[in-house]
Amino acid sequence: MNELFIAIVLVLLGNITVGLWRVMRGPTAADRMLAAETFSTSTVAIVLILATVTGRGALVDVALVFALLAALAVVTFVSRAWPDIGEETARGGGGPKP
Amino acid sequence: MMAWAITAFDALLVALLLWLAWQAIHADGLFRAVISFMVFGLLMAVAWVRLDAPDVALAEAAIGAGVTGALLLSALGRLPERDKEAPADRRARGLAAVGLAALALGGATALATIAWALPAPGLGREVTEALPKSGVDNPVTAVLLNIRAFDTLLEIGVLLLAVIATWALGPMQWSAPARVMSPALPVLGRLLFPMFVLVSAYVLWRGGHAPGGAFPAGALMGAGGVLVFFAGAKPWITGAELDPWRWLLSLGLVAMLVAAVGVGATGRSFFEYPVDLAGLFILALEVAAALSIAILLFALCLGGRPPHRWGSEDEA
Repeated sequence: MNELFIAIVLVLLGNITVGLWRVMRGPTAADRMLAAETFSTSTVAIVLILATVTGRGALVDVALVFALLAALAVVTFVSRAWPDIGEETARGGGGPKP
Repeated sequence: MMAWAITAFDALLVALLLWLAWQAIHADGLFRAVISFMVFGLLMAVAWVRLDAPDVALAEAAIGAGVTGALLLSALGRLPERDKEAPADRRARGLAAVGLAALALGGATALATIAWALPAPGLGREVTEALPKSGVDNPVTAVLLNIRAFDTLLEIGVLLLAVIATWALGPMQWSAPARVMSPALPVLGRLLFPMFVLVSAYVLWRGGHAPGGAFPAGALMGAGGVLVFFAGAKPWITGAELDPWRWLLSLGLVAMLVAAVGVGATGRSFFEYPVDLAGLFILALEVAAALSIAILLFALCLGGRPPHRWGSEDEA
């Protein structure tokens, strides 16, 4: 059973690795933010599975904190950063906007 | 299969951490750097879990991945467009990054050499021996709020200094509602805030006998406040009446100083709690510190203090 869990954890971490490509490529800020949110979800799953494998109940609390804080990043992004940097380009993102 | 898979997991984790750290300082565009930093916080917490340090993982999750990410994102949203990326600096930044990397490598080597020479079990045995007299069952909390309470006092002092420095930079201009105000945001804030309060109270209470305690609880509570604020809520407190605000900011430091010096009235030394009351002392200090940390982190997002009056919808 543990072997299955460890395989799942490995696949989830692989997911994050592949998802980093979206963070690097973009093209918009919203794409990058959504990729980061996928990582939050994957991390919650990884920590929960590690909690099961190691039998450490305290890790469930870590996952709980992660799950709550994932919402904070999205809310901050949508309400504070998004309209201004919505169409940041993949290269540089510089240049004055018309 | 298992040992092989675990090694692969750890190796991938380390590679990702190094790559994200590099991206956080060297990515094109500040937004990408901020995202890299936030993901770095997430994976760093997983690394702490792998290192069997759930206390640090909890603190990293609450502070590293949560509050600092929100702080950086909102700061980024306030920057003028041209400051977001200065392509002319790329060459200089590349050189600086190489220099920093060399410095970091040297520092890490020196630290590794020193760490190798440290006595192997550290002070774990001494802490375990002193644990029954500390008032709590969790060794980390015992160290943070009893054995080395002085360090915690200084940490809260540093946080307070950071807020004072931010405050001194001058008032921030707030257009209270976001530029694109989705109706979903206030609802999300209202739904989630009770969860933040509940979980931070739980984490605070857990601190007595399991990973948890004032710092993660305070950070979580502060994050909840920031979330509700960014979701469009207007706090009752304004810059017109700053006294309660000042008291809340300094509550943690004042409470710890009172406890540290107050025990001196009964002829004890600095921070030497009476053994039978130690649990009560720690609980009271944790509640005060957590409240204060929450307000301090919230204050950092506000630029130190609330504005004189919150802007209303028609102004924005």
